[in-house]
Parts: sequence; structure tokens; C-alpha cells
Amino acid sequence: MAQQMDIPPHLRRLGGTPSLRTYLASIWSRRHFAWSVARGEIRTQHLDTALGNLWHLINPLLLIGVYYLVFGLILGTDRGVDNFVAFLGIGIFTFNYTQKAILSGGRTLASNVGLIRSLQFPRALLPMSSVLRETMAFASAAVVMIAVVLFTGEPITWRWVLVLPAFALAAVFSLGFAFIAARLADKFRDLLNVLPFLFRIAFYLSGVLYSVEAFLDDPAILRIMLANPFYVYVSLPREYLMVSLDQDAIGWMWLSGVAWAAGGLIVGLLVFRGGEHEYGRG
Amino acid sequence: MEPEVDTRGLDDATVVLDGVHVTYRVYEDRRPRLREVFAQRGHRPSYREIKAVRGVDLVARQGESIGLIGHNGSGKSTLMQAVAGLLPVTAGAVYASSQPSLLGVSAALQPNASGRRNIVLGGLALGMTRAEIDERMDEVIRFTGLADSIDLPLRTYSSGMRARLHFAIATSVEPEILLIDEALSVGDEAFRRRSGRRIKELRRRAGTIFLVSHSMESIIDTCSRCIWLDHGELRADGHPKAVVEQYRASIEEE
Repeated sequence: MAQQMDIPPHLRRLGGTPSLRTYLASIWSRRHFAWSVARGEIRTQHLDTALGNLWHLINPLLLIGVYYLVFGLILGTDRGVDNFVAFLGIGIFTFNYTQKAILSGGRTLASNVGLIRSLQFPRALLPMSSVLRETMAFASAAVVMIAVVLFTGEPITWRWVLVLPAFALAAVFSLGFAFIAARLADKFRDLLNVLPFLFRIAFYLSGVLYSVEAFLDDPAILRIMLANPFYVYVSLPREYLMVSLDQDAIGWMWLSGVAWAAGGLIVGLLVFRGGEHEYGRG
Repeated sequence: MEPEVDTRGLDDATVVLDGVHVTYRVYEDRRPRLREVFAQRGHRPSYREIKAVRGVDLVARQGESIGLIGHNGSGKSTLMQAVAGLLPVTAGAVYASSQPSLLGVSAALQPNASGRRNIVLGGLALGMTRAEIDERMDEVIRFTGLADSIDLPLRTYSSGMRARLHFAIATSVEPEILLIDEALSVGDEAFRRRSGRRIKELRRRAGTIFLVSHSMESIIDTCSRCIWLDHGELRADGHPKAVVEQYRASIEEE
């Protein structure tokens, strides 16, 4: 029928991959939606517990306690680190943030099927709101982290300011990989069961619980570590929050951190946009 | 009655469906028998392909309200989701003059958030600004008639209350194309009247409405045209009374 008829210009074809420009524009015009979803979820997360939002602070404290007990006291991985509690705290918090952001971003299409099937909006807003939510949750964990760092005797210096761009890079990196995880998990649901184990491996390989420099002497391996984004994002905040720690190759870390963040975001957005019209098939 | 060939142009068309097919996969909840596993070595699909919509052509025009009837599983809801651009079409194309908005009963926005927050979220997702939403908030709440429970979480709402809220959200942006999938059937008499009035308003502003319903009375009352879907294919298209009669006759034959 319509093949013989010319489609007049006021009719627009629905579905398909939007151009990058219109996609970005529609994301921008609805950015408050992502913000609003994220804020609402934070508020209702612990609504039914007695301690409520205090859990955002208690959780990380308990976590540091457990890891300090097992790795610091029992296994003794604190070799080469004077202030192991602060070292551990920064490492765990930063790593957990990127892990949670990427995982929840990956799950977001499956967990918001109701929204996807009832409203038309750029789907990229969903991973964005997940990452935003984890970032807001991380902000309260960061208060605990700073308290731990101060409490264990690190002085406040002007270098603390540099922690902010370091975290910002970790956030952008997480968003990019949340996009990728979301697209892949939409196609292969099984991925969501595999991802936590991959993060577990990354957790042990990225020097969260031990100082890579104290345990590895081979400079070649240290150079390879600089290509590991998790190692980089965990080490940068340590560098600036801890006077007692001495790390090498900070310039290379920044370079690697910027490259992973920028590359991840661009590739992630393109990958995610490519599946825009497929999401919600269930 | 065969579907008529529409010879008019597309100047006042709001939605054009061009040979739309929608096929989706449903995973079977069934264990493969041992024999099947061995008989078909390698890839054995454990899902079934459901051809929910098979080749539908349709032109909807300004000011039309089109009823969709058909048996359960005839593809009505699937077709609506495809028109809304929420379900990808397998073949063919959907053209629309603006983004259609779909009202369905199953749609749960954010179950843990309050009705008020859902109005905000829905409005933002539909492209309204925060200021516009705040401006219309009171009117939307009044329309839902849920002033008492607007700050309770959505999961505590009954299906009728949810339908009211969703209808109010979707029509607050004054969509040009509105798809209503059974969403009105769960509402009570008062809400049905109010929503009926709003539908008429939308039509007067040259909007187009699709209404899926199993209530033949409401189709005849509110629609100017009716479409009968049968196993994913267009069986009839015409005046509501005539199509409904035809549909009823076919049911009695069975």
C-alpha cells in the first residue's frame, strides 16, 4: 500500500536507530528524568528498615571492618603499607562504586521493563540514572571514607582536591561500561550471572586489598597494571588522600584513567544506541 | 466486509502502518525430553516464535477514534505497542505524525514511588519540564480523583486507581495520538465518564485515538471506526456497528 504512496513529510518513521545528534539532544532534554528516577530510588531503598538511610553509612563501615579483620590481621596482606585501614577503605569504596554502578546499569533494562513498555523515552536515561544513583550513594559512603582516612592519622592537604577529578573519571568510566553491560545483558540475560564473578576477579587483581608495588617487583607487570582501569581508579584517590603512601607513575595513571573514561563513554554510548529499538522485547 | 482500499491521500494521516509484522520469542517453560536432546544434536531452540501481528496495513486520520476488537491473543495489544514504538516491528514500518502515547493496564511506572512522584516521572519521561509538571500537578491529581492516596506508594493502588493515574499522566501532555489498551475497563463509572469526555476533547483537537476493548458497547459509543484483528491479521475495517455485528456473528458460528 504505502510503498506506492509517498509518505508525506509530516509522518516520521518510528523505531530504528536514531542519529547520534537527535539521540543526544533527546537525552539532554529529558535529563531531569534520569535525575528524578535516581533520587526516588535512593529515597525508597531503605524505607522499610529501622535505621533507614543510615545504612548508606553503616554498610561501608562494616565492610572495612570485615576486610581489615580477614586481610590485615589474619592473612597479613598489609605489607608495604603504613596506614592499611585507610588504604583498604579507599580501595574498597572506590572499587565497589564502579562495580555497583556498572552492575546496576547492566540490570537496569530488565528491572525497568514496566517503564520501557509504557513510555517512549531515550533508553540511555536508564543506565544513566542507575549510575547517578550509585554516585549519590557513593557520596555518603565517601563521607565515611574521609572520616576513616582522617581518623587513621592522614593530614588534610591541598592535594585532596585532586580526588574529585579522579572520582569523576571513575564515574564516566562506569557510565560507559554500564551502557555496554546493559546492551549485552539485554541480549544475553545470562551475563548478569557471570558479571559478579568477573568483578570478583578484577577485585583481587587490582590491588584493592594489597599494595601492588609491594608485592610485585617486575616492572613489566607494573606497567601492565597501568592499563587496568580498576587499579588506576583505586590508586589515584589513594595517592592524594594518603601522605604515607608512595606510588610511582602517577602521570601514566592519569593518562590511563582519562583514556578509559573517554573511550568507555564513547564506545558505550554508540553500542547502547545501536540497540535502542530492541529494548523491552523482554 | 473486505477492508476497503483507501484512495485518499495521506495529508491528514496521523498513523500509517505499512505491512507491519511483529514476531517475538517466548521461551518455553518445558524441559526437553531426553530423546529430543539426542535426536537433535547441537542447537535446539527452546523458544517459540509467536507471529502476533502479520502484515497489517492501516491509515489513521485526524479526528478518528478507532476501536480494536478481536479474541484474546489476536494481536491487539502487540499492535498497539508497535504503533507506540515500544515493540520493534519485525517487518514493515510504522509512520506517525508525532510520538503516540500508550495507556495499558499492565504498565507499572515505579511501584515503590508515590502517585505524585509517578506523575512527575511520567511527565518528565514524556518530555515535560519540571515547571510545566508543577503547574499541572493539581489539575492532574483532581482528574485522577485520588487526592487522598496520591502520596502512597503506587504498589498499594488497585488496578482501577493505577489506570486513573496512568490515564491522567498520559493525557496531561495532550498527545496527538493516544493508544488506550483496555485501560479504561478497570475504572469505575465516574472515571469512565471523565475519560470519555477527555477522549472527545482530544478528537476535537484533531487527535487520533485507538481504543482496545472487549466491551462492544464502549466501542460503538466512543469510536468512529472499528477494526477487527483475527490471528494477527486485519479481518474487517469499517463502521463500528457493522464490524461488531460481523465479529459477533463469527463468535456464534464457533
